Amino acid sequence: MTLALAALLVTAQNPAAPPTKVAGSIARLFGPGARVDTLRVDTARVLRVSRADSLLGFAAVGNVLGKDQPITFLVAIDPTDRLKDVDILVYREPYGGEVAYEPWRRQFRGKSTGDSLRVGKEIRSISGATISVHAVTLGVRRMLAELTAWHQSGAIR
Amino acid sequence: MRTVVRWGLLVVMAPCPLQILAAQERTTVGGYGEVHYTNPTGPKTPPVVNLARFVVYLAHSFDERLTFRSELEVEDAKIEGGKAGGEVALEQAFLDYRLGDWITLRTGLVLPPVGIINETHEPPTFNGVERPGFDHDVIPTTWREIGLGAVGTIPGGSGLAYRVYLVNGLRADGLSAAAGIREGRQEGRQASFANPSFTGRLEWARPGLKIGGSFWYGGTADTNAAVGTGSFGAPVALVSADARYENGPFAARAVVANISVSDAQAINAAYGKSVGSRIAGGYVEGAYDLLRLVAPTSSHKLNAFLRHERYDTQASVPVGVTRDRSLARRITTFGVTYKPTWNTAFKGDYALLRNAAGAGESEVLSLGVGYQF
Repeated sequence: MTLALAALLVTAQNPAAPPTKVAGSIARLFGPGARVDTLRVDTARVLRVSRADSLLGFAAVGNVLGKDQPITFLVAIDPTDRLKDVDILVYREPYGGEVAYEPWRRQFRGKSTGDSLRVGKEIRSISGATISVHAVTLGVRRMLAELTAWHQSGAIR
Repeated sequence: MRTVVRWGLLVVMAPCPLQILAAQERTTVGGYGEVHYTNPTGPKTPPVVNLARFVVYLAHSFDERLTFRSELEVEDAKIEGGKAGGEVALEQAFLDYRLGDWITLRTGLVLPPVGIINETHEPPTFNGVERPGFDHDVIPTTWREIGLGAVGTIPGGSGLAYRVYLVNGLRADGLSAAAGIREGRQEGRQASFANPSFTGRLEWARPGLKIGGSFWYGGTADTNAAVGTGSFGAPVALVSADARYENGPFAARAVVANISVSDAQAINAAYGKSVGSRIAGGYVEGAYDLLRLVAPTSSHKLNAFLRHERYDTQASVPVGVTRDRSLARRITTFGVTYKPTWNTAFKGDYALLRNAAGAGESEVLSLGVGYQF
């Protein structure tokens, strides 16, 4: 299955993030008052963040499956395609919510798509949250790769 | 990863006009299992192979807040009328009502959140083919009882999470010298609610580190006035602390527990047992991923581990009981766990089963495979 087709199938059923959570996350990462434009790439949406005439970066929202619930997360990159931060927008399971803690999320900061991001190596795991840790790490890795590829190909600019 | 009926584990740049679909009902299937090969040393002890556990995880979300979660287990591959062994049992079955990150209300057959293994018991999560002896004789895993409670995280990114339940109590007639409170569990089967009991846990997490403290308190007398009266007659009081640490190739964990059975004398008089008035012990375990040394880029793991357990189900005895020193166990287990993925494990270990009396000691070679998804 091509990624685009997979995206289409999942998109049709996955929960979306509340717009206020997305806005709050963008404000936290890029500072308040930044301009946000929505770009379309195939079926996906990418948020372009700028202030005055200068590009601050891009962000996108995705879902991965935890033990039995989707985890809705946001990945933001800067204009040089380095990962600014990961935000857990909606966590729905009773366990494993430690992936939303800042000390865990901050392990991703500054990484680019050429960097290795593996649980137990570059990304430390959390006991009792193993499923969520693996799911979010995989999701971040894929989304960072997508955003970078789209940016470098000019699909988003 | 769990398999969701209708969609798999995929990542998308999710657009937003889908709120309506978010409330859709959804069923999730998962599972775990393990097969063991056990070979005790010595004559007339042939090796045994056993499909120790086959567990199906089934969850269903009715809406965004209400979810049913369950684990149905077959132990030892089959049960057959008139033959000993084997078990089909529900390990968990409860409804969760999520109010927010800080609290989910839960009711049904739940796991007392005590120690490490009781809640996190999937075979790839622990070293060694068998669970530690401590997690059989002191903390009686898989321990489940019926009740209600709440689970959640303490807000503000503190890293603290809690679980607290009110459940049915243990039964004094099941307590024993060798296996402590283990056979006092009622496990959701026509359980007496004469002795409502409290259990809970507070834990603190950081990447690579988790530290927890847990307790159980409740009566065991049921309707036997000779053992105790009132809701908290003949109480069992358990406190436990645990820690798990991971840093690069190195991992360690430790658990300690102390169980006080203050009316052990009355229990022993009523049921002709030699239950200890205090059951105590713990273990420490260290592991190192050997693949880091020879194939540092590999995503596989080959954990060499060493675990030492010391526990005594008669750490103290009441009047009328002579301490059986063979119950003061000293178990050393060492071996390897090969994990081609984080959720599959091939295991081999050698256990030295010793005790303070030096009686009936043995050594056991075990091999096993385990999985979870």
